[in-house]
Amino acid sequence: MAPSVLYHCPCLSTSSVPPPPHLPSSSYSFHPLNTLFFCEECDAVRCNQCVSVEVSSYYCPNCLFEVPSASVRAEKNRCARNCFMCPNCRNTLAAVPADPPESSDGRISGSVNEGPYILYCNHCRWDSVEIGITFEKPTGLAAQLQKFEDSAPDSLEFDRLKEHFDAFLRQSALAASTTAAASAALARDIPGVGKYNPLARSTNNRGYGKDKSVNRDEMTEYRSRSEISQAAGGGELDVELMNGLEEVDEVASLDQRWESSWVSSMQTKDLKPIRIPLHSKRSKRCPACTHILIKPEQKSQSVRYKIKLVASNYLPGIVVVLPHVRQAKEELLKRNLGKSVSAQAEEPSVGMVAGRSYEFQLNLTNPLYDPIEVRLSVQRVHVSTAPAKEGVSPEKAKRPPFAISLPTTKFPISPFAEAWEYEDDEDMFGVEDDELGIGPTSATVKTTKDKDGRARPKTVGVLERKANKTVVGGEIVIGKEAQGSVKFNMLVSYTYRSDDPAPSESGDMDGHNARAPEIKTFSFYTVVDLGPIIPREEVKLDL
Amino acid sequence: MSNVPTTPRANRTVHHPTTPATNRLNSSHITQASPHYTTTRRHSLYGVEDRVVVDPGSRIWKVGFSGEGKPRDVFFAAGKEAQALWKLSRTSDPQARLEEDKMLEVRLRHCLRSVFHDSLLTDPKARKVIIIETPLLPMYIKEMMARILFENQVPSVSFAPSHLLSLMAVGRITGLVIDCGHLESVALPIFAGRPLFPRIQTTPLAGERLTSHLRALLLMFATYLPPPTSLSAAINVPAANRATRVPPEVLSDLVVEEIKTRCCFVGPALDSRAKFQEEYNAAAGGGADSSSASSDVDMMNVDAESTSSHAGFESTTSSQAGEVSSEFSIITNSQAESSVPVSSTVRSEGYLEALASMYKKHSTATDLKMRVTPVQQTGTGMGTLIIPGWIRERAAEVLFEGDVDESSLAETILNALLKIPVDLRKTLASSILVSGGTAMLPGFIPRLHSEIIRSLLTPTPPPSRNSDSSKRRPTLPQYDKYSTLRPLMPYFAILDNPSPPTAQSERARGNAGKAPAFTPAMLAWVGGSLAGALKTGGSEVIRENWDELGEEGDESNVHADDAMDISELTTTATPKKSNILPDWTRSPLRPGAPSAIAAKLGAPAAGAHAAVPSTPSTPAPPSTSFNFSRSRSSVAT
Repeated sequence: MAPSVLYHCPCLSTSSVPPPPHLPSSSYSFHPLNTLFFCEECDAVRCNQCVSVEVSSYYCPNCLFEVPSASVRAEKNRCARNCFMCPNCRNTLAAVPADPPESSDGRISGSVNEGPYILYCNHCRWDSVEIGITFEKPTGLAAQLQKFEDSAPDSLEFDRLKEHFDAFLRQSALAASTTAAASAALARDIPGVGKYNPLARSTNNRGYGKDKSVNRDEMTEYRSRSEISQAAGGGELDVELMNGLEEVDEVASLDQRWESSWVSSMQTKDLKPIRIPLHSKRSKRCPACTHILIKPEQKSQSVRYKIKLVASNYLPGIVVVLPHVRQAKEELLKRNLGKSVSAQAEEPSVGMVAGRSYEFQLNLTNPLYDPIEVRLSVQRVHVSTAPAKEGVSPEKAKRPPFAISLPTTKFPISPFAEAWEYEDDEDMFGVEDDELGIGPTSATVKTTKDKDGRARPKTVGVLERKANKTVVGGEIVIGKEAQGSVKFNMLVSYTYRSDDPAPSESGDMDGHNARAPEIKTFSFYTVVDLGPIIPREEVKLDL
Repeated sequence: MSNVPTTPRANRTVHHPTTPATNRLNSSHITQASPHYTTTRRHSLYGVEDRVVVDPGSRIWKVGFSGEGKPRDVFFAAGKEAQALWKLSRTSDPQARLEEDKMLEVRLRHCLRSVFHDSLLTDPKARKVIIIETPLLPMYIKEMMARILFENQVPSVSFAPSHLLSLMAVGRITGLVIDCGHLESVALPIFAGRPLFPRIQTTPLAGERLTSHLRALLLMFATYLPPPTSLSAAINVPAANRATRVPPEVLSDLVVEEIKTRCCFVGPALDSRAKFQEEYNAAAGGGADSSSASSDVDMMNVDAESTSSHAGFESTTSSQAGEVSSEFSIITNSQAESSVPVSSTVRSEGYLEALASMYKKHSTATDLKMRVTPVQQTGTGMGTLIIPGWIRERAAEVLFEGDVDESSLAETILNALLKIPVDLRKTLASSILVSGGTAMLPGFIPRLHSEIIRSLLTPTPPPSRNSDSSKRRPTLPQYDKYSTLRPLMPYFAILDNPSPPTAQSERARGNAGKAPAFTPAMLAWVGGSLAGALKTGGSEVIRENWDELGEEGDESNVHADDAMDISELTTTATPKKSNILPDWTRSPLRPGAPSAIAAKLGAPAAGAHAAVPSTPSTPAPPSTSFNFSRSRSSVAT
């Protein structure tokens, strides 16, 4: 698995400190940056698990028809036009004219457009003739099938059940009220009977006569519309089918059958095409302040958003790279240029072996139009004084199996400028550095560059600055006995200068910022996953 | 705070119930018309009448709108590969439990949100929710679900017992319902709409056990053909040369699940099995106990161990009495057979092999080949798993063979019958309803019927145990557990039996197979949909009440609440929120309850009735149901 960085959303726990990354439940607190939102009012990260969701429109993902919300109900959340899914492979079905009955030279174009039409799967070649469904015209297919759906045995039976219970409920409500009245009258007339002791109740019942009480408890017998013993499928037929089964594929899989509430055939060949489920466009709100975080445009064809407060516009993006893995992969690619399959088998061997140290790089990208200063700090599960030596010590029960060293000082990332997007990477090198030198953050840049120059061989520190990206090097020392995977929580805090809470509005505004800039700090947690540790004695350690 | 249960209770006390059935159905009907309901009515594309019906299993969830004949969506709660959301037991280590709860909550939240946003595409604010619960669903899970739902602003949540709903789905309110789910099978008698909760019977023989048993059988008896190393080898090397035992890695959860759902079925009971048992014993010379009893899980571990430790295991467990009922669940390492010279061990394994070969002989089911992903991508293409036909047919035997601790499905039903009053037995025995996903195995229900009859026919459920003991102490009278039920034999009928046997009595004829042809797995959901459409369906917990409780709970955690006195009498440690959730285990309040409770309830007359909350999820107070049933049965029969 490629190394990854996930961002923390604090919605699941009350404390702001994220759970230690080795717990399985912690994976639910961390999300990829592109799924997160950012609420400007609360100044907080929001994830898909905590936002409140509202549907803004419904549409069919296949024909992109916008379904008015009033008819979604009647159409059972599925496309009521021509869109069907293959029951076998869930591919979209195409309505094609059926072959004319005689296959001898009758392939003249005249008959093609006349029908009958069938549904055909381009992927698995299923067609609806197999289950005896043909259409007179190639449009409004669902409407043509509607009559089958309306007369589905489960809905008919359901209506009958409902009538049955409705009658019973009415009757019992009536009976209850008369009983109550009668007993109240009894209680009024005869003082001693008013108490609801069981004896009084039972005699009461008896007094009312058998016929009435029978009606009340023992509901009139329900006669099924179609009894299970008379059903077409199920029972001994299925046992026989299973007994003589030749191929697993003859029987439909569980998820192809489990939605039907009516006893039906188990066989794959009897599966019906599925109307494509509708999708919805959703707008999402912050759970705390109910401000809209994201709001799509109503039209189903449009992929734009009216409001879009996504976290990637606010938080620096972080990509983690393991140079040795990348190198190894590149070499592997070169070697295996041409050979295809065997490369896969070798890939896992490139990893981190216990007892060694590796460098890794964090590529930070600044999405803001202001320069930011970032400080990284690794959250340690166990407090330790000498992190560099930590990993070497054999007591892994008490101490973390690996140690991380990252630059602890602040480092700057240049602002995002749209112009850079249009330039080639290669052009940027020379020009950008000069430009930066003139910029407001020149002092810091210089110092870090100097530092950088001195610290080159260390690999820990700022390695490279390019446009709005900064590459930071870190080092990891893995203990000899270490197992599991290298995962650590990292607190990222950054300061930016802005008097405008919405810095993403336009570059001009920020450029001519006349007012006294306010320095703001925002910090968030991430979990960095560098991948699994390969135990040293891989042969001896099984499992 | 006294207003918490007021709405439902006040409505209930309006109708002084003489019959539980009318009371229950009726009262929740009235609750529907509470002022809250009208005020929260808002414009929504569906209207608010239809509720969201959620049947949350530990593995599979069914969700949809009430008033519809089938659910809108069915999905695995924790992904296809993942295990059940919750298990029968919780870890005791507080740290681990915290983690476990956290996982559960996260997954529940994920599922519940996806119900609204992905499956139903509806706004949770406009929808009342019916949660279909199995009667033994732990309170902390219910509380967690309610909390998550209310966090998502649903107007109200009601919990309805799955067994009662299943009965409603077949148009009845009286019957003995057995729900064979994933974690356990639960038999619950229901009379006139009142679940007799104290008479509940459970057994862990259910879907999960079937899966582990199936896996064990496949490991031992199935054949695996790894993919040929080269394309030419596929032609040149005969399949027999490639055949190996099944590596455990091949049998992923997904594969076993697929075999279970697509290949397995339940064959009819073999009469020859008992005969076989005797013959085998005679041939082997009798004497020592013929076999060992152990669970599959143990055996799985044993498989991984060396053969010597395996032998030790066998000898230790062989001291346990062998039982016909559990013999077939023994999975032994066949490699151990040749290398272990201990006679008893060899005998028991030989016995197992013989049993397997007996099944093989009697089974006409075809062997199946299935494509599986190989362990290591060494050769070309997919590996092949050959599943013997008899495994497909006989894997489910484990569900019908109980032992002392875990009663079989038939015994579970009979035990429930034993516990219910005599005058109800005939009625309930003739209206057994089988629901749940495990019952979807073809042939399951007819087999269950014949197993019930068989357990009544044989003098004792574990015959071999008795024969063994009678050899030593011949004077011991046979313990005949179900003798009192034997007269009921002609009346046994399973409502949703797709192929009922010829009925022995008029009553059985009138009931067996007369249920509508809903699938067993969907019965509870259909019933929930029906209950929602009829505006009944359990006592509601309304969001306002919940939120109110939450605020007060926040003020002080130890704050003693007057309205909470009822539940605090029984449990003081439970979190406040859960106190407004209906819970039949926590209401010992029946008319003849201890005076302390009666005094606390205030006015005696009203209190007595308030103490019998007439919701389906509250217990039928045993005393009333007895009285009630006695007066009734004279009429009914």
